[in-house]
Order: sequence, then structure tokens, then C-alpha cells
Amino acid sequence: MIIFAYKEKKDPMKPIREQNHYELLELSPDASPLEINRAYKKAFELYQDGSMASYSFFSMEEREEIISCLEEAYLTLINPESRTEYDKKLIELGVLEKEQQYRDKVKEPISIYDFKKDHPVILGPNNRMEDLKKRALQNPLVQEILAQDILSGEDLRKIRTALGVTLEKIAELTNVRIGMLQAIEEDKFDLFLPMVYLKGFLKSYARCLQVDESIVINGYIKRFGIES
Amino acid sequence: MTDPVKHIYPIGGGKGGSGKSFVTGGLGILLAKQGYRTLLIDIDFGAANLHTILGIPHPDKSISDFISKKVRTLEETVVPTSVPELYFISSAMNKLDITSLAHEQKMKLLRHISKLPYEYILLDLGAGTSFNTIDFFMISNLGILVTTPEPTSIENIYRLIRSVYIRKIRQVLNIYNYRALADEAERRNKKATINNPEFLLHIMKELDPEKGENLEKALQEFHFKLILNQLRKQDNPNTGVLICKIIERHLSLKMHFLGSISFDDRVHNSICKKIPFLNLYPYTQTALDLRECCKNIQSVIKEKKSTFSDYR
Repeated sequence: MIIFAYKEKKDPMKPIREQNHYELLELSPDASPLEINRAYKKAFELYQDGSMASYSFFSMEEREEIISCLEEAYLTLINPESRTEYDKKLIELGVLEKEQQYRDKVKEPISIYDFKKDHPVILGPNNRMEDLKKRALQNPLVQEILAQDILSGEDLRKIRTALGVTLEKIAELTNVRIGMLQAIEEDKFDLFLPMVYLKGFLKSYARCLQVDESIVINGYIKRFGIES
Repeated sequence: MTDPVKHIYPIGGGKGGSGKSFVTGGLGILLAKQGYRTLLIDIDFGAANLHTILGIPHPDKSISDFISKKVRTLEETVVPTSVPELYFISSAMNKLDITSLAHEQKMKLLRHISKLPYEYILLDLGAGTSFNTIDFFMISNLGILVTTPEPTSIENIYRLIRSVYIRKIRQVLNIYNYRALADEAERRNKKATINNPEFLLHIMKELDPEKGENLEKALQEFHFKLILNQLRKQDNPNTGVLICKIIERHLSLKMHFLGSISFDDRVHNSICKKIPFLNLYPYTQTALDLRECCKNIQSVIKEKKSTFSDYR
């Protein structure tokens, strides 16, 4: 007697003897031991001898065969060693991908205070920043401006446009208001906050453009000092 | 009247006393109250009950008038009920010799039922798995099965489904001339007979994937539904879902669970009084459950339009 069953309705029907343990228990290959336990319990409830729902649906032999298949599947999968071995067999047969295997993922505690989150001064993929740095070093205009003793807001803007970085991007990365960044570029000294803040902003600004922080700060402050 | 979308629901269940007539009556009243033109037909020729449940102890016309050619059209045997929009064809007072219809009479009746101008037509089928019952059950793909959570009733449900299943396979084999393929399958493996449908299907698919798949598709056209009736407090409320699961997993059929209906002693009272339960006790759990089932039927319709078999 051969008992057929669907794994899922879209797949063709297969004799249960040919179904692998995961299909039989309707599990995905990365199911955890807890899920295996539950699936087996559920299936057993459905197919066991006294089950009301499947009453008379199967003959005695069919029922025995299903139960023995279920037991074999459960015992193989619930034991980590036999499961690894079974998975290996499935991988060799090409039924299972290596990545689909169950891995015991021990969850790491989530840190409550994530300081980094609040100060994403330089975010984004590293290689993009590296690239930016390279361009800054190779760009003659940028280097020429940086060589000056004094830097004006206009100079900073020129560096920025030469490197193709938008104000919005800098605002996003530094959390400094766009208005404030504009004030820096337009030399609107009267809008500035105390010196500490200005230094901080300039530092962030310079980092976003991957140019030397100290040159930018010193050059700009010098000019600020002269004109005020 | 514009041609309405028509839905024909045969309601069967193998075992007598599981509540087919009660469910048919209840669903009919609910649909009619929503304003749908609804017709109930009592197909249980030998043991008609539906008229009593609807509170019409002595219907003056019956389906036998049509079968014995006393009237020309089936429409003439329709009687109105106390509920507006709810109509009824009775089998009460049938002549006793029509319990077993001749094949041509049956086909004629099926054809005429499919043509009746109602939005919902519910057929109350008799118990058992006689050819008559099965043919009426297969009038559309939307059969509703009623069972109680008792082994006897569940046993008969499975019996009925398997009979329908095997009959459908026979039909497909005949219509598409697949007999030769089926015979070939049986030659290959002695066990691949029609009585072992999954295996036959399997071998047929190996021999001729296209034809095998066609057969499977034809079977998948069925959208059966299940109602678990008379659920008592101590019963496992999951039984209905599990039954559907077994059928979906092991047969090429679609099975949708509509809901459980709580057991209520007062159903007995309403039948004794010959007043529809929903009118006598509209605010009971059982009435609520019936409404829920009715709602589920309609939501299924929206997903899938009804398709009819080859009787038209």
C-alpha cells in the first residue's frame, strides 16, 4: 500500500515514503527543535489511531505506516547529531542547500544605549569615503584652496561643489541644520553660535568632505577673527 | 430581470441526522434576508424534511409533479415561503416510486435546475452515497458537506468524498478518452486502479505527464466546503480544520472549512414547533454560527466564481 500526500498544493503529490523528513512534518529545513516538536505533536494528533478527524480515512496498515514514518522523521531530526548527518545526505542528493540548514543562532543581547546612532558623523560604506578622500587629494582646485592661509565660506563651498557633495548630504550625515551650513558658506557671522559649536560644525563639515579638519578650522577661524 | 450570477450549492453529508436540512434552511433564510433571490430544493426524495424545517407542513406542489410530467417546467413547482425572496421546491408527498430516478429523468432534472433564474440555489441532498446523491452533489463544484464531530458522521463524509472523487475520475477518463492510458497504467502496475486513485494518478502522470496533469486539474476544480454541525462544548473545536487538512493533503481536492455550528437543544424545539430556528431563536450562539458560515460562503464566492459541470 502506498500513501500519497501533497507537500503543498502547488507541488505534485508524492508517496510519503519518498518525502524527506522535513516535507513529511511540513517543516522548513531550518526549523528549530521547538518547531520540530510542535510539528510532530500536530501530525501525531492527526494520524494517531484514535484521531477523530482522520477516522476511517486510512486503513490500519496505512495508519501504521504513516505513524512509523513520522516517528522516524521526528527521531532523526530531534537529535542534533543524526540531523546533521541526515542534512548532509540531503545536500549530497541536491535536495537541500547548505545555507538552508538549521543553525543554532544564540541571540545576542540588544544594547539599550546605542550612542553611535545619535552621532552618525561619518556613515555610509567605507569605500565611498575612501574614494572621496582620494578625489580630494587629486583635485588640483581643492588642493590649491586648502593651501591658502585663510579660508572663506566661498572657498569651502568651492571645495564642496568640486567634490560633488550636496549640503543636504552633509546635513544628513552631521545632523547640523542646513541653514547653519549655509550661513557658514555665506560668511554670515551674525548667525553663528559660540565658537565651540562653530568649531564642531566645521570639523563635521571637513570630515564629510574628507579634507584635513585642522586646515579648514584654522583657516576659517583666522578669517573670522580678522573680520569680526 | 437581468441575468444574475448564479450559485448552486449542493448540501450533502452522507449520514442522516447530521443537520443537512437544518443547515440548508438556515443558510437559505440568511441569504434571502440579504435580498438575494434564493431557492431551496429538497432532493431527498425518499425522506423529505426540508418543508417541515421551513414551516410549510403541507406544500401544495412538489418536484414529483415535474418528474411525472404533470407540469411542464420546474418553475411551476416552486412555492413561496414565509420569508420574502426565499422560494422552495418540495419533495413532500412525492409518489413513493420516484426514490430511484431513471438516468434520463435525473439528467433532465439536473439540466432544469441549472437553468432556474435564482441567485442562490441550495440543494438539500439525502443521506447515503447512491448514484443519485452523488450526481446531484456534482451538479456544481461548490458542494457543501455537513458533518457532526462523531466518527460515524465523519466516516460517511469521507465515503461520500471518495465516491465523488472516483466518479469524477471516471467522468474525466470517459470524456477525454483517457481510458487507454488508465488501462496502460493498470497493466504497468496492478494496483493502479480507479479504486486507488492517487496511485493511478501517479502512474498516469509518469506515462503521460500532460494527460495526468489534466486529470489532476479537473479534480482540483472542486471547491468543496465543510460545516461542522452540532459541536458540543466538550468536543475538539479543531476537528473541522483537521478534516479539511487530511483531505487537502491526501486527495487532489480543494476543501475549505466554513465553520462550526454549536449544538443547541432548542433546535429540537423549533423543529417540533415547525418554526425556522433563526426566526424563533435569532440571538443564540447557533444562530450566530450560522450567520458566520453564510458570511464565509459569500467571501469564498468573491474569490472564485462558480463553475458548472457538463450538465448544461
